[in-house]
Amino acid sequence: MEGRHEDDKKHTASKLAEEIKALAVYKSLYSDVQKLASSSIVRKDDFRQTLHQAMKDQGLETKFRNTIYHLVKTHSNKNKDPISLLTKASGQWEKRIHKSLNSMCTDLETALAKTRPQSEQEELLEKWNELSTYTLDLSKYRPVYAPKDFLEVLITLSGYVPYTREDEPKWEFAHLPLQVKTLDQLRKVFPEWANGEPLLGVNPNMPSSVPGFASLEAERISLGERVAILGYAPVVQEYLKKGSPQCLRAKLWSQVLGSDIQASHLEYFAQLKKDVLEIDLMIDKLIFKDVQLTASNDDQYFVFEDLLYQVMLCFSRDSEVMKKLKDSIGNPPTVTIKGKQTSADSVTVFPPSGIIPFHGFSMYATPFCYLYDDPAQLYYTFRSFYIRYWHRLHYISTHSQGIVSLCLLYERLLEANEPLLWIHFRNININPIRVVFKWLMRAFSGHLPPDQLLLLWDAILGYDCLEILPLLALAILSFRKENIFQVNTIQNVDAVLADLSTISVIPLLQLALMKS
Amino acid sequence: MNQDAKKMANSLYGRVNAPAVERCRVNFCTDLEKSVLMSNFERRAWNQVGPDDEWNFYWASTQTCRNLFSVESGYRMNDNQIINHFPNHYELSRKDLLVKNIKRYRKELEREGNPLAEKAEVVLHGGQVVTRYVHLDFVPVTFVLPADYNMFVEEYRKSPQSTWIMKPCGKSQGTGIFLINKLSKLKKWSREAKTPFHPQLTKESYVISRYIDNPLLIGGKKFDLRLYVLVTSFRPLKAYLFQLGFCRFCTVKYDTSVTELDNMYVHLTNVSVQKHGGDYNNIHGGKMTVQNLRLYLEGTQGRAVTEKLFAAMQWLIVHSLKAVSSVMANDRHCFECYGYDIIIDNQLKPWLVEVNASPSLTSTTVNDRILKYKLIDNMLSVVLPPDGVPDVRWNKIPSAEAMGNFDLLIDEELIEKEEPSGHSRALKTKYK
Repeated sequence: MEGRHEDDKKHTASKLAEEIKALAVYKSLYSDVQKLASSSIVRKDDFRQTLHQAMKDQGLETKFRNTIYHLVKTHSNKNKDPISLLTKASGQWEKRIHKSLNSMCTDLETALAKTRPQSEQEELLEKWNELSTYTLDLSKYRPVYAPKDFLEVLITLSGYVPYTREDEPKWEFAHLPLQVKTLDQLRKVFPEWANGEPLLGVNPNMPSSVPGFASLEAERISLGERVAILGYAPVVQEYLKKGSPQCLRAKLWSQVLGSDIQASHLEYFAQLKKDVLEIDLMIDKLIFKDVQLTASNDDQYFVFEDLLYQVMLCFSRDSEVMKKLKDSIGNPPTVTIKGKQTSADSVTVFPPSGIIPFHGFSMYATPFCYLYDDPAQLYYTFRSFYIRYWHRLHYISTHSQGIVSLCLLYERLLEANEPLLWIHFRNININPIRVVFKWLMRAFSGHLPPDQLLLLWDAILGYDCLEILPLLALAILSFRKENIFQVNTIQNVDAVLADLSTISVIPLLQLALMKS
Repeated sequence: MNQDAKKMANSLYGRVNAPAVERCRVNFCTDLEKSVLMSNFERRAWNQVGPDDEWNFYWASTQTCRNLFSVESGYRMNDNQIINHFPNHYELSRKDLLVKNIKRYRKELEREGNPLAEKAEVVLHGGQVVTRYVHLDFVPVTFVLPADYNMFVEEYRKSPQSTWIMKPCGKSQGTGIFLINKLSKLKKWSREAKTPFHPQLTKESYVISRYIDNPLLIGGKKFDLRLYVLVTSFRPLKAYLFQLGFCRFCTVKYDTSVTELDNMYVHLTNVSVQKHGGDYNNIHGGKMTVQNLRLYLEGTQGRAVTEKLFAAMQWLIVHSLKAVSSVMANDRHCFECYGYDIIIDNQLKPWLVEVNASPSLTSTTVNDRILKYKLIDNMLSVVLPPDGVPDVRWNKIPSAEAMGNFDLLIDEELIEKEEPSGHSRALKTKYK
């Protein structure tokens, strides 16, 4: 028994070692170790011990640990969806998207991919830092799909219900054979919150329980600075559970996501930019359109418009995104690049990232503008966030953090904890998921003010889960329930929930998680 | 029920209080029927009357206010009347007078040997070394033209590469403003202004200030800050800062090249200017909240520098007010809300550009309307005693709840009470 356990460990270790060898950072890590091994601190007679000590002292051990941590966190789920129904549904949905892209191309008499003429390349390059002045006629372009289209697809998932009575609504996700947590189980996921421990984002002047600090904020800053210096990702993650002060957030997020910038990152980012300049993908117009429709009109984000164009365009060219998510995002088509000599590189995956943006997609990136003003740094943190979390919000899967499970979780939480609201929705014949779906799908970006949103995303990173999103949706509904009881059309419910500018996320969530 | 309780119940529910109820109805008069004003007056169930009627609260234009206080009018206000301007607000709001007052204030402090007036040498962009005040250098170097022309030329010669901005003293919202980077251009302007064809121009005085050519940019764009400051008294100084200011962004990328010198969309942040640009957005109006500016700066530049910047802005406001407090006609019927325009440079140093005594109450966006509604609402609750009826005998110390989104900037009366011996020390600890 013991031996088998050892064997397992060895097997995992050697597998991880193989994977690390395949990483881009491997070369630099390896040469660092080589340099260290040949230095005088490492003694030949006690090679193993002294090398290990030296690696610890030089921070190399932290680097290794973090590399493994990030590797494990982004490990793609090798198991295909066990529910064949969802696999089929997601396949059909993907086909619909591709068809819609193709027909848009036909209507607009353009190609999915073509080489960019030299003059256009020059103009784009010249205006790279102010792409808002790059004039494009986008009047005929429409987002491929919007959250409400995606919701319709999700709702039909439950359509296979074997039998429903006449008077029973046919929309409940409850019919799907998926496991989700109850509120009590969620309390065990968020013990710090459920126990009423002091959190950032409740009251800026909350006194500290640690002697020597004027406020909780001062205490958290001091602790956070030490955590940031240590730079060990699991510790950073633990720290984020109780919220990060804004001044440390940029650093801590990039540490927990492993998105610290290195020279190779900058080169890669420059290459993505080059790819954008050379090849004109139809998706570029959709990206421009999306930023224009969302961030450019938003008083919290319009300032960052030009930064967003850069980041989103580069993202679409990033084949590493697809490589890391290949088991979760379906099969993007391969298309020929119009205007290129037929050769190995005259075809491209469309788009190279494999991700087709929907209406509001840029909102996944906008909040990072409050943390990073350097496009590359912003890019890598956003990308890591996307690879770890956001893709789950707009692809169909049975994953416990996927959008389907989150919808179901919301539904169950509402039914169990706000039965009167549940009945009210049923009486006025509104599917309660409809009034919160856009919040869930965008992880509240664009709906909450940025300071509140960043606190919410701290918790996503800290607890490494998205279940906080449906929980917040529930908490907001129950906070506004008296007003919801007064109205009986979906427009009016939407109106009650439209303005979230006065919502304090952390107290609301803590209230929901603490036992009454 | 005992006798006392009965009496109380009677006075609560009975007819005894009729005069008090009568007194509670505030009569207001306004020269400006903006919706953010009117809706606030209506919410308080105030009664609108004309300027010749018995008003308690007058939202007046600066002109009306000056007329009321002029000797000729012979108008005497009673204890239950208040008005929204100080009669000589222009000491603060006229660009030339503001600069004059600040220069005088510094000199006075210097004569007293006050450490606030400490000077030090600084190196300019071009490498020239000049002497500047360490703590009171918050207005760009400014001269009044034509009066100070020779002094200007002397300063100009110290750094001939610099750009200067010309503003007519008495105008607002960006009218008549232009940039110059050559002395010849100024000479040409002055020749043209003196021609017999433009006799009206000769009367008008201008201020010329060193142009802040290294502004802090966000998203590549220049912006300035609009902060609201409420003053309820100048002697002792009582001032409040509204938390909900905003940044006004230019619609085009900042560009210092000479070819863009005449493009006002690059340089001027006034909404009245930007509105005419092709890229003006009606939904956000180029405005971002000060809270979000703070969030951005803390996130990208760190906490210490951000705190320092915001403290420096409070410092700047307090000292600009102290600079005029001795010359202001401190009538106890008056209060005033100032719009402070501040530019932050890329070293995160704030510069006072100008002070407006009648900040615009027009709402360009939904959020703008909410902000201005709150501004008026909070302002009314700060200037009115707890019972809501104007009364100049009130001590003008509002409760914490009454302040709403206003923060106390300074109350010299309170400082005096706390530390009767050395009030200047109390101030320093608070603002440094």
